[in-house]
Amino acid sequence: MAITLNHYLVLSAALFTIGLYGALAKRNAVTILMCLELMFNAANIAFVALTRAVAPQVLTGQVFALFVITVAAAEVAVGLAIVLAVYRQRRTIDATEIDLLKW
Amino acid sequence: MDLTPILPEISLVGLAILVIILDLFIRRKETLLFVSVAGLIVPALLTTTLIGRTGSYLFDTVILDPYATFFKFVFLVAAALVLLASADYVDRFRLYDGEYYALILLSAAGMMLMASTRELISIYIALELATIPLAVLAGLQKDARAGEAALKYLLLAGLSSAFLLYGMAILFGLTGTTDLVGIGRGLPEAAGINRGALAMALVLLVAGLGFKISAVPFQFWAPDVYEGAPTPVTAYLSVASKMAGFALVLRFFTTAFATAAIDWPLIFAVLSVLSMTLGNIVAFVQTNIKRLLAYSSIAAAGYIMIGLASGTDLGASGLIFFLLSYAFTNLGAFIAVIAISEQIGSDDIADYAGLARRAPLLAFALTFCLVSLLGIPPTAGFAAKFYLFAGAVQQGLLWLAVIGVINSAISAYYYIKVVRAMYLLEPKTPAPVKISAPVALALFASAAGVLLVFIFAWPIIGLTEAASRSLFVR
Amino acid sequence: MVAELAWLFILLPLLSFLLCVFVTRPYPRLSGYVTIAAVGATFLLALVAFWSVGNLPPDRTLESSVQWVVIGGSVLKVGLIIDSLTAVMLLVVTLISFLIQIYSQGYMAGDPGYSRYYAFMSLFTASMLGLVLANNLVLVFIFWELVGLCSYLLIGFWYQRPAAAAAAKKAFLVTRLGDLGFLSALLVAFNTTGNLDIRHLIDLAETKQLAGATLTAVGLGLFSGAVGKSAQFPLHVWLPDAMEGPTPVSALIHAATMVAAGVYLVGRTLPLFLAAPDVLLVIAVIGGLTAFMAATMGLVMTDIKRVLAYSTISQLGYMMMGLGVGGLVAGIFHLLNHAFFKALLFLAAGSIIHSVGTQDLREMGGLRRFMPVTFLTMLAGAFSLAGLPPFSGFWSKDEILLEALRFGGVGQALYILGLLTAFLTAFYTFRMVFLAFGGHYRGPAVTGDHGHDHGHGAPHESPPVMTVPLIVLAVPSVLSGFLTFGGFFGPFGEFLISRLSWHPHYEPGLDLTTMVLSAAVSILGILGAYAVYGAGWVSPEVFSSTFRSVHTLLVNRYYMDHLYNWIARRIVLGIAGLLDWVDRYGVDGVVNAIAELAVMAAGSLRLLQRGWVQFYALMVTLGIILLVAVFGFFGDIIAFLRG
Repeated sequence: MAITLNHYLVLSAALFTIGLYGALAKRNAVTILMCLELMFNAANIAFVALTRAVAPQVLTGQVFALFVITVAAAEVAVGLAIVLAVYRQRRTIDATEIDLLKW
Repeated sequence: MDLTPILPEISLVGLAILVIILDLFIRRKETLLFVSVAGLIVPALLTTTLIGRTGSYLFDTVILDPYATFFKFVFLVAAALVLLASADYVDRFRLYDGEYYALILLSAAGMMLMASTRELISIYIALELATIPLAVLAGLQKDARAGEAALKYLLLAGLSSAFLLYGMAILFGLTGTTDLVGIGRGLPEAAGINRGALAMALVLLVAGLGFKISAVPFQFWAPDVYEGAPTPVTAYLSVASKMAGFALVLRFFTTAFATAAIDWPLIFAVLSVLSMTLGNIVAFVQTNIKRLLAYSSIAAAGYIMIGLASGTDLGASGLIFFLLSYAFTNLGAFIAVIAISEQIGSDDIADYAGLARRAPLLAFALTFCLVSLLGIPPTAGFAAKFYLFAGAVQQGLLWLAVIGVINSAISAYYYIKVVRAMYLLEPKTPAPVKISAPVALALFASAAGVLLVFIFAWPIIGLTEAASRSLFVR
Repeated sequence: MVAELAWLFILLPLLSFLLCVFVTRPYPRLSGYVTIAAVGATFLLALVAFWSVGNLPPDRTLESSVQWVVIGGSVLKVGLIIDSLTAVMLLVVTLISFLIQIYSQGYMAGDPGYSRYYAFMSLFTASMLGLVLANNLVLVFIFWELVGLCSYLLIGFWYQRPAAAAAAKKAFLVTRLGDLGFLSALLVAFNTTGNLDIRHLIDLAETKQLAGATLTAVGLGLFSGAVGKSAQFPLHVWLPDAMEGPTPVSALIHAATMVAAGVYLVGRTLPLFLAAPDVLLVIAVIGGLTAFMAATMGLVMTDIKRVLAYSTISQLGYMMMGLGVGGLVAGIFHLLNHAFFKALLFLAAGSIIHSVGTQDLREMGGLRRFMPVTFLTMLAGAFSLAGLPPFSGFWSKDEILLEALRFGGVGQALYILGLLTAFLTAFYTFRMVFLAFGGHYRGPAVTGDHGHDHGHGAPHESPPVMTVPLIVLAVPSVLSGFLTFGGFFGPFGEFLISRLSWHPHYEPGLDLTTMVLSAAVSILGILGAYAVYGAGWVSPEVFSSTFRSVHTLLVNRYYMDHLYNWIARRIVLGIAGLLDWVDRYGVDGVVNAIAELAVMAAGSLRLLQRGWVQFYALMVTLGIILLVAVFGFFGDIIAFLRG
C-alpha cells in the first residue's frame, strides 16, 4: 500500500484530536502540557507532508517544523517552571483545583 | 544581507541582555530601571531612521511600511510607560527585577516584529517571542494567584498557538507558500477547489489570533490573568499585547484573505457583537477593579473589531486610531490602579471610597481615563469611538455601529460606579495617598496622551489613514 | 467632515439622556450637570456650525447622508443638513435650552424627580435638534413625534396632579390630530414621488412636476401637522393647559422647541406652499385669525402663565401669517426674536412663581420692590413682546406686517388685523406687568401650589442660577432686532436666504408708515394698560360689565374647549386610559426592567468564568466548532442572504 498525502493528513488530524482531547480532559498540568506538545507535532507532520505534496522544490514546511519544535521547547520549559512554582505554593498540580481566580 | 529593518528589534534584545548582565553587578533597582527606560531611546532612534522606508527585506520575512513603523513607535512608548509604572511594584519581585525589565523588553521586541512581518514562520516566532515572556511575567510575583494566572495564560496561549499552527498548515497546504502576499494570490483558486478547508483555516486562524486580542469566545483567560498577574504586567497585557494582536490580525487578514471568496469580515462582525455585549454586561457585577478593566478591555476588543468588520482601509484606519487612543487610556487607568494599590494595598472598588479626598489628582486622572474608556469628550476615547462608528456607518454597517453605541451607553453604568466610589463615598481613613515620581510621570504622560490624541485627532487620523492605506497597497 | 459633526447634535443630548436614565439617576445633581454639559457642548457646536455655514460659498449647504432602508427598489437615504436656516435654528434651540437647563437647577431644586426631569429635557433637546437638522421628511416626522412624546412626558411631569396628567394627555392627543395630516401628507408624497428628501420635493414642486391636487393635499397635510404643533387655531387648545408642567418646561416648549417646530416645518418646506397658492392663503388666514383670537383671550386671563401662553399662540399666529404671505425671512426672524423674549418672559414668570408661590396675577402686585432683577428683565421682555421700538419684537413684527401689505388682497386685511393684534398684545402684556409689579403686594404669604413644599414668606429675589439666565436672555431680547441691519455674516435676511437649496423671495427695506403705525398702536396699548391697571383711572370692571357677553366668551375661551371636550369625551377616554397606564407603569417600568435584566444577564454570564483552565479551553474549542459550523456549512447561505 502506497502511503499518500491523505494518510499523513489523517495521521496529523488524529494526533491533533488526541492532543486536544488530552488537553481538555486530563487533570494533571504536566500532562496537559504534553498534550499541547502533541498538537504542535500534529501541525508539524502536516507541514512536512504538505511541503512534499504542494511545494516539493522548497523546504519551507520542514523549516517551519524546526522552528515550531524549537519554540515549543521554550514554551514547555516555561510551562514546567510555572507548574513547579504553582506546586510550591499550592501543593497541587491538578488543573481543576487551581481556581482561585474566577467570576 | 541588510539587517537595518530589524535593527530596532535587535537593539531591544541587546538592551534586554544588557539589563540582565547589569543585574548581576548592580544592586540598585533604580539604576536598572533607568537603563531600561533610557535604553529605549536607541531602538526609538533606530526606528526613526526607518521612517519613510518601504519594502520587503530578509527574504520577504520583514517588511517596512508606515503601518509597521507606526506600531513600532507605539510599542516602544507603551513599554517605556509600563516600565516607569513598575518603579515601586518591582519590590514585590524580590531579586528578579532585572529579569522583569528584560522580559518586558523582549516581549516588546516580539510585538514590534508582529507588526512588521508578513510571513507565516516569522509571524509565529514573533508571536511566541511576545507571548512567552508575558507568561513568565504573569507569574513573577511569588503568590498563589500570580502562579495560577501564569499557568492559565501559558496553557491557553499554548492551545491557541496549536490552533493557529494548524490553521497555518492548512493555509500552506492550500497555496504552497508561507508568504501572506503569495497566499493572498493563491487563495481564490484554492477556494474554488476546497472551500471547506479554507473555512476551517480561517476559523482556526481567528481562534489562534483571537486569543491575543481577547475576543469572545477566546477571552476566558483575560479576567483571571488580569486579576492574578502583577498589575504592571496586566497593563502591558491589556494594552501592548492586545495592540500587537490587532496589528497582526489586521495585516494578516487584509493581506492573505483580501481576494479570497470568503466573508471573513462577517466573522469579526459577529465576534465584535459578542465581545462588546459580553464584556459590558459581565462588567456590571465586578467588584475588583482589575477584573472590571479586564471585562472593559474585552468590550474594547469588540469595538475595535468593528474596524475589521468592514474589511476596508477606512475601517482599518479607525481601528488603528482606536488602538492608539485605547493604549493611552488603558495605560493611564492601569497606572492609576497601580499607584493606588501600592498605597492602599487593595484592588477592591469598595476600598476606593473617598479616594478623591485622599488623592485628588490620582482620582481625577483615573476618572479622566474612565471617561475616555466610556467615550465622552474631551478625551481620546471619544474621538476614537466617533471616528470608528462614523466609519462603520459610512460603510453600510449601521447596525453594528448602533450596537456599539448602545454598548457604550451601557458601559457607563460600571465606569461611573468607580467614579462614584471615589467621589461620593466617605473614605475609610483620611490618610492621603502618595505617588512616587516615576509612576507620576508615567501617569501624567498617559493622561496627557489621552487629551492630546483628542486635541490632535485630525493630524493623527492623517497618520493612521496613511498607515492603513499602506496595508491595502498591492 | 463638518457635515458629519451634525450627528453630534443629536448624539450628545441623547447620550446625556441615557446617562441620566441608566447611571446618574440616584445622583440628581449629577444628572443636571451631565445635561447642562451636553447641551452646552451642542451650543458650542452650533456656533461652529453657524460659522462653517457662514463661510460657505453662497447657495452651498452641508449635508451628511446615510443609506437607511430599501423599500421596493427605492433607496431611502436619510441625513442631516446644515444650511443657513438650520444654523439659525440650531443657535436658538441650543442657547435657549442651555440657559433653561441652568435655570432649572434652581427651579427644580429638591424635586424628587430631578433626574427624570433632566433625562426628559435631554431627550427633548435631542429630538428638537434632530428635527431641525433632518433633510428628509421621514426623519423629520420621527423627531417630530419624539418631540411630541417628550412634551407629553414633561407637561405631565407632576403626574400625581390630575391637572398635569390631563394637560399632558390633551397636548399629546390634540397634536396627534394634526400629525394625522402630516402622516397622510408623507404617504401621498411618497406614493407620488418615491422620495421624501426635502430638497428633492422642493425641486419637484419648483419644476411643476409636483403640482395640482397632489401638491395641495401634501401642503394641507404638512400644514395640519404644523397647526397641531404650533398651536394654531383650531388646535390651539392644548397650549394653555400645557402650563401644568414645570415652568422651565413651558419656557422650552414656548420658546425654542415644541411650538417652533411647526413654524420651522412650514419655513423649511415653504417652496411647496409657494407652488400651491391656495394652501398658502389658508396658512396666512389661519395665522392671522389665531394671532387675533389668542390676543383677545390673553386680555382676560388671571393666571400669569396663561397670559403668556395666549401670547405665544398669538405670536405663533403672527409667524404663520408671515410665512403665509411668503415672507420666509419675516417669519423666521420673528421666531428668533420671539424665542428669546418668550423664554425670558417665562423664566421671569417662573422666578415670580417661585418667589410668591402663586400663579394668580390678582395675588401679586408690588413685586418690583422685592424682585428688581426679575422686574427689569421681564420689563425688557414685555417691551419686546409689545413691539415697542427699538426692542426686538418691533422689528420682526414690522417685517411681517410689511410682507402682508406687499402681498396685497387678503394681505391688506391681515395687515389691519395684525395692527389690531399688536395693540391688544401691548395691552395685555402690560396689564400683566402692572398687575404683577405695580401697586402693592396683595398676596398672603401662602404655600405654593407648584409642587414645592417649602412655605413662602415675603416675596424675595430668586437665586443667581435663576436670575443670571434672565439677564443673559434679556440681552438678545433687547438687541436681536438689530440683526435685521447686520450680523456676523451680513443682515439676518440676507444670511438666511444665502445658503439654502432654494431661493426665497426677499426684499429688504423698511416702511416708514408701518413703523410709525405699529409703534403707535404699541404705545397706545401700553398707555391703555397703564390707565386701567397702573394708574387705575378706569376700573377694569367697567369693561367686563359693559361687554359682559364678550367677556364671558373670552373667559371661556370661545367655548372651544367645551366643544372639544364634548366630542373628545366620547372618543378619547379609551386611549386616555391606555396612556394613563403607560404613564404609571410604562416609562419607569421599562427603565428598571432593562437595568435588572442586565444585572441578571451578568449574573448568569459570569458563571462561564468558572476558574478552571480546561473549562476555558473547552469553551474555546466549542467556539471554534460553532464558527466552523456557521461559516463552513452555512457560509453559502449567509453569502446568499447578504446578496
